Amino acid sequence: MVKQTQTDPFTLEIVKDSLLASGDEMFIALAKTSMSPIIYEVLDYACGLTDAKGQLLTQGNGVTGFIGMLSYMVKETLNKYDNGKDLKPGDVLIINDPYEGGGSHLSDVGLVMPIFYEGEIIAFSANKAHWTEVGGKDPGSFTNDAVDIFQEGLQFSCLKLYDGDVLNEPLVEMIRANVRFPDLSIGDMWAQVAALKTGEKRVREICAQYGKEVIIDSINYLLDHGEILSRQELQKLPKGTFEAKGSVDTDGLGNGPFPIQVKVTISDDEFICDFRGSSPQVPGSVNCSFTGLASAIRTLFLALTNPGQDVNDGVFRPLKIVVDEKSIMSAERPAPVSNYFETMLNCLDTVWKALAPHVPERLAAAHFLSVCSVTLSGDHQDTDEPFLIVEPSVGGWGGAQGQDGLSGQFCILDGETYNVPVEVAETRYGVLIDEYSMRNEENGKGAGEFIGGKGVIRSYRAMSDNQSATITYGRNLTTPWGIDGGYEGSRNEFSVIKANGEVDGPFGVYPRYPLQKNDVLQLKTGTGGGYGDPLKRPAEQVASDVKNEYYTVEEARTIFGVEIDTTTFEYKELEARK
Amino acid sequence: MRVATDIGGTFTDLVYTDEDGGIQVAKSHTTPPDFENGVIDVIKKSGIGEDAIDTFIHGTTVIINALTERTGVKTGLITTKGFRDVLEIARGNRPDLFNIKYEKPEPFVERYLRKEVSERLNYKGEVLSPVNEDEIKEIVNYFKKQEVEAIAVSYLHSYVNPEHEQETVKKIKELWPEVGVTASHEVTKEWREYERTNTVALNAYVQPIASSYINKLNKELTENNEINQKFIMQSNGGTTTFEDAKEVPINMVESGPVAGIFGAAVLGELIGEENILALDVGGTTAKCSLIEEGEVKVSTDYYIERDDRSAGYPIKVPVIDIVEIGNGGGSIAWLDDAGSLKVGPQSAGAVPGPVAYGQGGEEPTTTDANVLTGRLSGKNFDYDVDLKLVEDKIKEKIAEPFNMTPEEAALGIIRIANSNMLNALKLISTRKGHNPQDFTIVAFGGGGSMHATALARQLGVKKVVIPVASPVFSAWGMLMTDLRHDYIKTYIKRLKNLDIPEIMEQWNGTENQAIEQFKHEGIDPENVVFHRFADMRYLGQEHTVKVPVPGGDWTEEDLDEIIKRFHELHKKNYTFNLPDIDTEIVDLHVTAFGVVEKPKMKKITRETTLEEAQIEERKVYFEDGKGWIDTKIFDRELLPIGEKVEGPAIVEEAAAITVVYEGQVLEVDEYGNLIIETEEL
Repeated sequence: MVKQTQTDPFTLEIVKDSLLASGDEMFIALAKTSMSPIIYEVLDYACGLTDAKGQLLTQGNGVTGFIGMLSYMVKETLNKYDNGKDLKPGDVLIINDPYEGGGSHLSDVGLVMPIFYEGEIIAFSANKAHWTEVGGKDPGSFTNDAVDIFQEGLQFSCLKLYDGDVLNEPLVEMIRANVRFPDLSIGDMWAQVAALKTGEKRVREICAQYGKEVIIDSINYLLDHGEILSRQELQKLPKGTFEAKGSVDTDGLGNGPFPIQVKVTISDDEFICDFRGSSPQVPGSVNCSFTGLASAIRTLFLALTNPGQDVNDGVFRPLKIVVDEKSIMSAERPAPVSNYFETMLNCLDTVWKALAPHVPERLAAAHFLSVCSVTLSGDHQDTDEPFLIVEPSVGGWGGAQGQDGLSGQFCILDGETYNVPVEVAETRYGVLIDEYSMRNEENGKGAGEFIGGKGVIRSYRAMSDNQSATITYGRNLTTPWGIDGGYEGSRNEFSVIKANGEVDGPFGVYPRYPLQKNDVLQLKTGTGGGYGDPLKRPAEQVASDVKNEYYTVEEARTIFGVEIDTTTFEYKELEARK
Repeated sequence: MRVATDIGGTFTDLVYTDEDGGIQVAKSHTTPPDFENGVIDVIKKSGIGEDAIDTFIHGTTVIINALTERTGVKTGLITTKGFRDVLEIARGNRPDLFNIKYEKPEPFVERYLRKEVSERLNYKGEVLSPVNEDEIKEIVNYFKKQEVEAIAVSYLHSYVNPEHEQETVKKIKELWPEVGVTASHEVTKEWREYERTNTVALNAYVQPIASSYINKLNKELTENNEINQKFIMQSNGGTTTFEDAKEVPINMVESGPVAGIFGAAVLGELIGEENILALDVGGTTAKCSLIEEGEVKVSTDYYIERDDRSAGYPIKVPVIDIVEIGNGGGSIAWLDDAGSLKVGPQSAGAVPGPVAYGQGGEEPTTTDANVLTGRLSGKNFDYDVDLKLVEDKIKEKIAEPFNMTPEEAALGIIRIANSNMLNALKLISTRKGHNPQDFTIVAFGGGGSMHATALARQLGVKKVVIPVASPVFSAWGMLMTDLRHDYIKTYIKRLKNLDIPEIMEQWNGTENQAIEQFKHEGIDPENVVFHRFADMRYLGQEHTVKVPVPGGDWTEEDLDEIIKRFHELHKKNYTFNLPDIDTEIVDLHVTAFGVVEKPKMKKITRETTLEEAQIEERKVYFEDGKGWIDTKIFDRELLPIGEKVEGPAIVEEAAAITVVYEGQVLEVDEYGNLIIETEEL
């Protein structure tokens, strides 16, 4: 039971709900006004509230990858501005420093606003969104062959964008002059400011209605409530130490793969992930800061405990993370970090792999794992205007106890992320999409009692000359692992089919691949791993898989042990199953 | 005589107006799966007998039932080559962010019934490759062999140029005249292939069900009564003919629920309230919708089975914007794992129902809390209420864990339930830039009147209206409908270089199409009324704002005015605007009303006094530390018109009560509506 306070429990609950509702409201407002598909389709942003100390109270998320990052931004703000003494009402701070408070890459620009009530800071409103452009050496800013942070764009080290309601115009002018699509970046910035102010307004309304004391009680109640739920779930997890190894394919500069190892220790009141002994930080841009790692581990911690609960810092109190200094997952200035998410994902996958056999009710076999990010730029064939595609790709998820894997879903660090419709893409960008379909595999990829979901093929045909594609497909050297006799899935890869029919590839990571008119960029994402022995999959289900062309007759016979008649789809179980 | 019938989960309601304009009501049990029988029963029961019916209006849940229960027909899908998996890949989103065992909605059409045809248009609608008719032939043969009962056709960019879809449908009909075929452009002309394909697939899936239902209903109706005109309620708040409904049955997906919202708008017009928050509280859910300047808001941003945990299925047809939450009279109060009080979304349903029903319900509900706090009296129920049992259950499940009295706990349940509804009302008002103080709440359904006055206090709403036909308000709303068609078409153009003659061609083309459709439905062109809207955004944005735009021929000045309106609406909705950024139209939206004659609401007279209307005085437990207060209880039917009742008070009627708080004043208006106003402080 949550501890008693002066305020009655129903008022606490009602105020808590009002705070959560404010978080949702900020989240929706930002998507509706954003200028960039990466925000309104990919939902690569987060909005939330923290308490006066920077503890997360509520966060609206489009992607899981930002979970908890807002707290670090606020803590850095407190740190830099004399514990808040140098802040005043109306201030808005801008921050994207990956090593100090930002946590991801420069493209994710955070804004923080202190919320004052009766002359003191009562909470912070904060958000963080992926800007299409923050400058740097390549269009789209985040790139896969940067050698240091300076190539990756503008750095905002917790500066006042507004100083007590007064806009810092020189700063805006400097941003405008240093990014490739200033209307997009600055438009998104206004959308972020509007969302922050909405949060501020709502919190002040709640304060006015209930008074400061009740708000503070409610905040503590909310954090304690999160902790209690989290600890109850922790009790249900298997206790002990679990280990696994993984790797990051490449840093984009020809180095790699880089080893990752984790030792997960679960006790009654702690969940410790120890990554010591993993690769040191690397020359290319797959380095990840400690904040990024923390977000990844928080994501898996929620998946393991209570995926449906409201998220706040109380929930994460039992969680501890241990790393070596200057490792690939705790990188320090000036290591490049553009593709930090690939290391985040591999760290998450390694913990997932360590625990998957022991928590089958929550964890599936491996998924395609990578954001599979695509950046494609060029000029539109009809308008001659420059266009820029920045998008993640969907792929296959693993089979799980009682459930087949999902086909065509974004990776675990994305979330309420939407693919760009073919009709929208063809209107806006200089491409024609030849195909967007589920991948036909062979050799029983992803086979199991519960099969892995399919990866997909998306083929972009360039409609003008001189287009340029920067592709970062991780998990290209390894495959998604299966569980308990389930087959492994397939790797992520892409090829280019030139206008003359020549095929180049397959590749995993490639900076600035030049495309001419009618060249086709064929992107293929991985199928997820299988769960359990394929011979245990019900024969009737296998017949239906073949009818639906998820597997071939040949695979049904040799891997699933079922003979299927291709005209009637009648089936017979073979000796192997008996 | 104008008659409306509304099929609900438990009852089929009938409402008609008699010759004096008085409202008559009948109820009969809903009769699944042969819903038409319930309709015939209620007509018989109503006393209309075999009288001639001038206009018959019908709301039905047949479509939504077929979808949620997956009882539609075996459907085949034909897409552009390379895109047969569009329904399975969908948008790739995962609302349940942290759930590794997320369940993606399964397509309504299995993969082996999704076939591809070589054909291609570009985004401008130009043909890149023609339709391959041989492939269609093969597919039709295959579908025949698979015993497919309906076919959906969805090609890329058909919203710009429908010719390939038309060609394909024509060919299929030649080859297989009996099968039902729908092309995506017939159902929606908006871009985004997944949403459009899902919409056409779902339309095909339910079409044979809808046709057979409407045919049976029609047969039964014409055998029993002479009926001049027969209409069906659509999700956009208007009606259409039986024939039209069979073509695009997916337009009926929210046939019933929207009628109450529409009714609130009609009532508002009658009593001079044009800004309304309509609130419908039933047994398991509460629904609300915002009406601004008399206009219900319609959009195509509609999904079924979508929530925090599931992506659901988009249906791009015009539906009145409704926010629905799992909070009604039967919602169960419970403590979560950390001991916090929650109300809903689980409901005790009709069986066993709340503890108060005495039908075996063990879990305390909002209704039970209303009983224990004296708001509802045992006499309001058809059942014998065991007050002691209600108290025991609330005590055991809620009060004891919190170490408080049962009435404090009961009030807690009511407050949490109100907080849930309040958040829903804020979602449609404050969060869209509206000030609730400029609105009046119109509350109906069994629980609407019980909670609306508390919500009004918290939102700062000054006036609450409990309509006269509150228990059958949806059916009443249907009586008041016109025919309505919404035509929405994706048409992407920047305002800066808009070609006026070209856009006028679009508007006029659509409006002429509407006039033709109405002619077909027996409406004269002079009774057709158009409203035009443009869905607009800043260049680069994705989401749009619906901007009302002028009718008739446009001039350059009109364009300036439209841009100005867009900037204003953007600011209102999102607190800021970007005056230097170019604006863009995404969709053209024409709402066409075929205006028909509707019944007039009758003014009532009543020679009673407040003393006669008072049933009793009993103790009611109130919020804000007031505790048990002696409260006057009145009978709604006996309240004199125009006399003021000061709160605290409770007004009882069959199946509902209205709570009047201290500081609020209630009076009955000349139509019999209850008007509750908050005194200025």
